[in-house]
Amino acid sequence: MFVYEKKLQYPVRIKNPNPALAKFIISQYGGPHGELGASLRYLSQRYSMPYPELKGLLTDIGTEELGHLEMVATIVHQLTRKMSMDEIKSAGFSEYFVDHTASVYPQAASGTPWSAATIAVTGDVIGDLTENLAAEQKARVTYDNILRMSDDPDVNDVIKFLREREIVHFQRFGEGLRLATERLNQKNVYYMNPAFDK
Amino acid sequence: MEPEKKLCDQGKGSQPACAPLAVPFVPMQQSAEPAYSAGKALVRGTLFPGLDLPFMGMVNNTELADTPLGELMALDFVIKELQLYLDTHADDTEAFDTLQQYIKLFETGRAAYVRKYGPITICDTVLSKTYDWINDPWPWDYTKHKEG
Repeated sequence: MFVYEKKLQYPVRIKNPNPALAKFIISQYGGPHGELGASLRYLSQRYSMPYPELKGLLTDIGTEELGHLEMVATIVHQLTRKMSMDEIKSAGFSEYFVDHTASVYPQAASGTPWSAATIAVTGDVIGDLTENLAAEQKARVTYDNILRMSDDPDVNDVIKFLREREIVHFQRFGEGLRLATERLNQKNVYYMNPAFDK
Repeated sequence: MEPEKKLCDQGKGSQPACAPLAVPFVPMQQSAEPAYSAGKALVRGTLFPGLDLPFMGMVNNTELADTPLGELMALDFVIKELQLYLDTHADDTEAFDTLQQYIKLFETGRAAYVRKYGPITICDTVLSKTYDWINDPWPWDYTKHKEG
């Protein structure tokens, strides 16, 4: 089960509201490389993992991703507080505003709602861990691109932290894959799927 | 897995001399040392200098651990980093010792924080005079001041 801790993993304190910025940061909430997909991908994959180190890793990284989801939502929430109608219109925020006002909805920057089609749960150890390596890279790229476009130091401070976490997670998934590979038939690691074949 | 000799610098790791084809290999991190201080780890987003790989030289230098909550976040973050490291390095007894030391520091800091600023989990309200679980600020609320 999960128990809520009434604190963020990393402080978020955005002084200046900026709906134009919120419009693309929201992609890391509900976009194709975002934190909602990350948490559900890992927390769903863990059930078929045959090895204790992989059950642990997917649980622990998946849980951290839920904390990142909360941090991204907090950025969006603080960027969209106290908006005037003029600010909403000039920032191009009207399309979002009409359905969601100043709340946080899981969608991509393009407006596409979050979809489980953006994640994979294959039930195959090498398949899933390789998916996760790619997923961490894609999230890292999105954070890179946010850093290219945002000039708000309060936002970028948090984005840099989240981006660095993708690199650490990539390393751990790589190590997890390596540990899994060492348990497999060294002449043919694709001989069978240890998550299914006994 | 056989323990590998620590031959590489931080930021580098060894690969097997011979490995199965058609599988991606990421080098194993060889040690949980060197490590940043808790405060610096939180600011940089990793405990490990060898994994600290910023984009275009954009590096955080802000001091976050200068408030009671920041201090607590920093200790919590080191625990998270060591947890993930140990998930793939369960035989590293030194890293496990370090984790246990940080957990003790965190528990002490956490108890002091809760007494002064209020509950972090529902069970913390055992110390509260009234039902203060719902009190503002919630984590997403914008607060001008860093205190608390």
